[in-house]
Amino acid sequence: MVVSDAPAGASFRVIGVKTCKEVGKRLADMGFTEGAEGEVVRSGFLHDPLQVKIRGYDILIRRSEADDIEITPVGDWDTP
Amino acid sequence: MTRLGDAEKSSLRVALAGNPNAGKTSLFNALTGAHHKVGNYPGVTVEKREGSRLRDGRVYHFVDLPGIYSLTAYSIDEVVARDFILDEKPDLIVDVLDSTNLERNLFLCLQFQELGIPVVGALNMSDEAAAKGIKIDVDALSAVLGIPMVRTVGSKGSGVVDLLDSIDATAGNRRAAFCNNSSSARSIHYGQEIESRVEPLEAAIDADAPFAARFPARWLAIKLLEKDANAYERLAAHKNATAIAAQAKESVAWIEKHYAKDAEIVISEQRYGYIRGAAKETVKLVKRPTLSLTEGIDRVIMNRFLALPIFILVLWGVFKLTFALGAYPQGWLEFFFGWLGGAVTSVVPEGFLRSLLVKGIIGGVGSVFSFVPLIIILFFLLSLLEDVGYMSRAAFATDKFLHAFGLHGQSVFPMILGFGCSVPAIMAARTLKSRRDRIVTILVIPFMSCGAKLPVYVLLAGAFFSKNAANIVMLVYAIGTALSLISAFVLKKTILRGGPTPFVMELPPYRAPTLQGLLWHVWEKTWQYIKKAGTIIMAAAILIWAITSFPIYQLPQSQIDSLTTSYKAKNAGADQQALTSYLETAKAGASLEYSVAGSIGKFIEPVFRPLGFDWKISVATVTGFAAKEVIVSTLGILYRVGAKENEESVGLRDALRADSQFSPLVAFVLMLFVLVIPPCFAALSTIKAELGWGWLGFAFVFMLTLGWCLGAAAYQIGLLAGAAAPAVAS
Repeated sequence: MVVSDAPAGASFRVIGVKTCKEVGKRLADMGFTEGAEGEVVRSGFLHDPLQVKIRGYDILIRRSEADDIEITPVGDWDTP
Repeated sequence: MTRLGDAEKSSLRVALAGNPNAGKTSLFNALTGAHHKVGNYPGVTVEKREGSRLRDGRVYHFVDLPGIYSLTAYSIDEVVARDFILDEKPDLIVDVLDSTNLERNLFLCLQFQELGIPVVGALNMSDEAAAKGIKIDVDALSAVLGIPMVRTVGSKGSGVVDLLDSIDATAGNRRAAFCNNSSSARSIHYGQEIESRVEPLEAAIDADAPFAARFPARWLAIKLLEKDANAYERLAAHKNATAIAAQAKESVAWIEKHYAKDAEIVISEQRYGYIRGAAKETVKLVKRPTLSLTEGIDRVIMNRFLALPIFILVLWGVFKLTFALGAYPQGWLEFFFGWLGGAVTSVVPEGFLRSLLVKGIIGGVGSVFSFVPLIIILFFLLSLLEDVGYMSRAAFATDKFLHAFGLHGQSVFPMILGFGCSVPAIMAARTLKSRRDRIVTILVIPFMSCGAKLPVYVLLAGAFFSKNAANIVMLVYAIGTALSLISAFVLKKTILRGGPTPFVMELPPYRAPTLQGLLWHVWEKTWQYIKKAGTIIMAAAILIWAITSFPIYQLPQSQIDSLTTSYKAKNAGADQQALTSYLETAKAGASLEYSVAGSIGKFIEPVFRPLGFDWKISVATVTGFAAKEVIVSTLGILYRVGAKENEESVGLRDALRADSQFSPLVAFVLMLFVLVIPPCFAALSTIKAELGWGWLGFAFVFMLTLGWCLGAAAYQIGLLAGAAAPAVAS
């Protein structure tokens, strides 16, 4: 499962960033590393880009980048 | 000569570093007061701000490094910061940390520590952190990380004295720290597996003592494991470079096999792991987070359906305020330079000197300064939006659409501003972090038809499309916008191709800007414009003046007589004044026709034949480089209706319609041509200042070629389609 699968309001725990040179390293440097907990806050019109909370701050990433971040769900995703 | 110990040094060079949005600029202002100097880092357009402070006989010289998140080599800002520290070796680094967001901010701080230069951490925005219920045990954090930490609030200037004390203490300890190597002993422990690979590399690098004195061995060893290309380049100076590179690559392979991940990702993970460990003991959240004001506002501003309309409203506001408010001081300046020209005219006798002073220098400088009010207002508003935190929200609203054309969400502000004036628009592209995005944005801004081109459209559309004049003008604007999007797309697919620039952008909480910070920003931008553009534009204005004035041509008396006779015959009963002005225009037209500009116009006329242009139009487009609205007054001179003509003038419209060379088709092609060809000198010199001569040359050729091709295509298609072609019988 990846970040782009998570609906708005869903919490997750990062498993890791899939390999893809610059984007992957940048996401890892911004805090998307194994074990980090985060939450998808909202997404834009047409569901892109995403606002994600990670390590206590907010970041904007494109859906295509969110596809590279593997996660496990935390809590119940269906209840808003 | 013996080198003074750092403790006694009477001056210290301190690099001020940190993440964007950590309040670095306000802390820099609080530290240095009014003693600023703004320049560029060598060879790049990254701003370099320097300032100093004197305390107890010691000078602290601060250099503000660009705001960055990490020390990879992926962005120009990161490269600049890294190279500054490695090559210029400041005495100390002050890392400005956002206390509300400590984990990610420490990620950069620990990389500075590895560079082997003493680091002091400024726990900035500590008031905000306290309000959020984040409790930091400063002493414990300093002890765990081995980095002295000081609480500061840059926007209020508090903590500055403590910070300077800490700088003194740390600089004094530097020598001791270096001798027993405790600074490196204190830096991150990457875990047993990685350390077992770092240590042999470190030892191998240390074997070349002169080399190890230049580059901290531990930092380089880690960078080699991160596969940093620049680290491998620097390694080349080592006497055992090949062996060490091979050893590093072997270690990378081992790490990737062991962790089943890219080595550079593993290193980042270990760093965050180390930070998490340090933070667990020293940072506590004592209050449950409640719905913050930021989140409350964002529920509206960043609402899926509202984000874009709100953005358009904000943009409209900025646009309206800039150009409506700016029009007054712009008018005053134009009035002032007009008055100055008049004053000089009355003092200096007629001739070469007067012409140079009034038309060349005062005219040129006047055109530069008339943009200054626009730049001041615009940059005040943009800095306000940026400092408040709106820019990331704007990017959120527009990125989906712009990304489809290879642009970035943040390109939107500069591009829309281009409808007003390309000069501030090109400067506004600085908010883009990636150089490639910035180049693309700047290259397409001139297609967003600027305000000065409007008079040309109004004249031509009014003369030849009187029924649908407004629609035709709208069409030209639409073509321009489409061209900028399409060219962005094509440029990104061809010469500016590259991997996708990640749209990884922090969304900072809303913060109240400081007036001092805003005013500094505006002052810096304005001064840079006056300095850089001023010199080039003035030279260009003098050049245009020269080619339109020389060689001096006097209409022979015989011709004046015959013109007088024919005028009197046609206009029986006209008064002496009308005759004089008719003759003045005729003289001006003749001197322009026989000037260098006129010769150029005639010489290049064949080139413009496929577009249906004659030499008069060619000359007008050449003089249009001074400013696009000059095209109208040039046509006024050449069509002998007077230089004072404007786009609403009936006389000039009638004259154009009466010319058999002109037709609705030619008028349309000319509008298209003016839209696409390179912008005025003011805009060109701004492109040069932002991107350098190379890109300026490219932009010039690109726009000229595109303008010619589109114009020729439109004209030829128009002819084939049987649109009213000009009468060939001549």
